[in-house]
Amino acid sequence: MRVVIHGLTKEYVTGKGNIRALGGVNLEVRDREFFGVIGPTGCGKTTLLNIVAGLQKPTNGSVEFVGEKRTQAMVSMVFQDAALMPWRTVDRNVPLGPEFRGDAKPMYQRVTQFFLEMVRLLDFSSAHPNELSGGMKQKVALARALANDPEVILMDEPFANLDAQTRLLLREELLRIWERDKKTVILVTHNIEEAVMLCDRIAVMSAAPGVVKNVITVDVRRPRTLKSMSDPDFVRCLEKIWDLLRYEVDKAMRENHPSADPTLQEKQSRRNYFGWW
Amino acid sequence: MNEAVTARPIKISERGWGGGSRRKVTLGRILFGIGCLAIWQWAHARLGTEWIAGPAEILGRAAELARTGELWVHVWVTFGEALLGFLIGGSAGVLLPFLLRLSPRLTRALDPYLAAAMGVPKLSLAPLLILWFGIGLMSKVVFVGALVFFLLFFNGLAGVQSVDSRLVSMARVAGGREWVITREIVWHTALPFIFAGLKVALPRAISAAVVGEFIAAEAGLGYYINNARSMADTVGIFTGVVLVTALVIVVNGALELVQARSLAWRPVDRDMVV
Ligand SMILES: Nc1ncnc2c1ncn2[C@@H]1O[C@H](COP(=O)(O)OP(=O)(O)OP(=O)(O)O)[C@@H](O)[C@H]1O
Ligand SMILES: [Mg+2]
Repeated sequence: MRVVIHGLTKEYVTGKGNIRALGGVNLEVRDREFFGVIGPTGCGKTTLLNIVAGLQKPTNGSVEFVGEKRTQAMVSMVFQDAALMPWRTVDRNVPLGPEFRGDAKPMYQRVTQFFLEMVRLLDFSSAHPNELSGGMKQKVALARALANDPEVILMDEPFANLDAQTRLLLREELLRIWERDKKTVILVTHNIEEAVMLCDRIAVMSAAPGVVKNVITVDVRRPRTLKSMSDPDFVRCLEKIWDLLRYEVDKAMRENHPSADPTLQEKQSRRNYFGWW
Repeated sequence: MNEAVTARPIKISERGWGGGSRRKVTLGRILFGIGCLAIWQWAHARLGTEWIAGPAEILGRAAELARTGELWVHVWVTFGEALLGFLIGGSAGVLLPFLLRLSPRLTRALDPYLAAAMGVPKLSLAPLLILWFGIGLMSKVVFVGALVFFLLFFNGLAGVQSVDSRLVSMARVAGGREWVITREIVWHTALPFIFAGLKVALPRAISAAVVGEFIAAEAGLGYYINNARSMADTVGIFTGVVLVTALVIVVNGALELVQARSLAWRPVDRDMVV
């Protein structure tokens, strides 16, 4: 399934005026492509994914899914925190999509088994989420996304809350699963290394209001492993993205932290000395 | 992974000293109970029955009331009023937050009125309700119902509003309709809040029935206590209070059983009292 995003803008209407989160995003994600989105904080990445998932309406523009639908559902989503239902055991958290669709119980129980085995968590089927570590929870969330049987998987910084080792492990796990059954994936991340490691192509976004500044093709051979990270192609790609990104990150920082502005700082300190008049 | 690794040793070590410590707790509990009874008995001997009825007298009175059947009539009347009011007020208090969830704007509009209604001291309404609904069952049911409604409504509202929006997004993406989301997510999120509300509301429901009976009634534990008071029957007052307490304890025990079953997924009993 291809995802075609055309002229997408989003304005949030708030009490303090309108916030322009997306300023005209154009993207085309190919069928069965692992597509990355990277950009400074607040540039609208989450907003973009939510719109693609149908959770929010765009102000302007469109998202189209082009191609033959071969699966049960259109999209699945994986969030930064696993967002599991704490009152359900693992094996009842995984088949959320099939259950809500109204599939027969024996069928989705088999599906659950299959995907729990895939993420190597079958032994924890009857555990409650609070008995799992962060990495395990995230694996359950991944299994849930897969069990939904979607054309497109949307991931919003899925590994951001994990420690460095677990993150490496899960990246490899995700790659392994994706190689087995390639789906269209849109991955939002702050981690350039992660993006290069996983993706076929990466969109670099500008600071808010977010637009796509550039789309980089990652020329690192698959299947990729930890060793790929020392591949000269890998390093080159990393540097290319950082060069594009550093200016935007810097800009976003200056906008988000006005105290870094020297004239404002001076004004504030003057106010401290002289009071309000 | 670290959570899973540390979780186990803690459980083992708990079991390690758990047995001995539990016995100590039980022993302490019994000793404390005996101490309280001793002080009570001493105060009774010191001040006389007109001021403080002794435990033995109360037991004797309760046994006598039980024999004549009067006890069951009073307990049943009070329990019935509390139960009916509790069911009516409680179900309204639980349901309404779920309905209000469908319209956040209406909720916000109603907010100041709800706060004001919460501010009315419900106990002061008892005389008015008796004026309106008579001295029988009805006035107490309405009284208990109003009290329980507000307690559960505000707890339920807090529960409904604490729903994790990510879970809701998740369920929407998975194709869940509004009703499914309410049943599978909002309800489970609100349940601990509702139980916290029930825990507060149950004893209050019985108290409210008793207070209603103080003012005007023809039967019930409150009626019995008030009647004893008018005849300067200290033993009767004490017996009534003890019976009300016993009723509350029994009802609370039943609630805790239900709660333990419905909230088995919660790791620790961190109660939310609003
Ligand atoms: N519900 C909302 N109401 C108002 N403004 C919002 C809302 N959600 C997001 N925004 C604003 O829109 C902009 C983009 O937010 P978004 O969460 O999409 O950014 P992001 O790229 O995902 O950031 P991060 O990398 O920190 O997760 C931000 O300026 C944010 O303050
Ligand atoms: Mg985000």
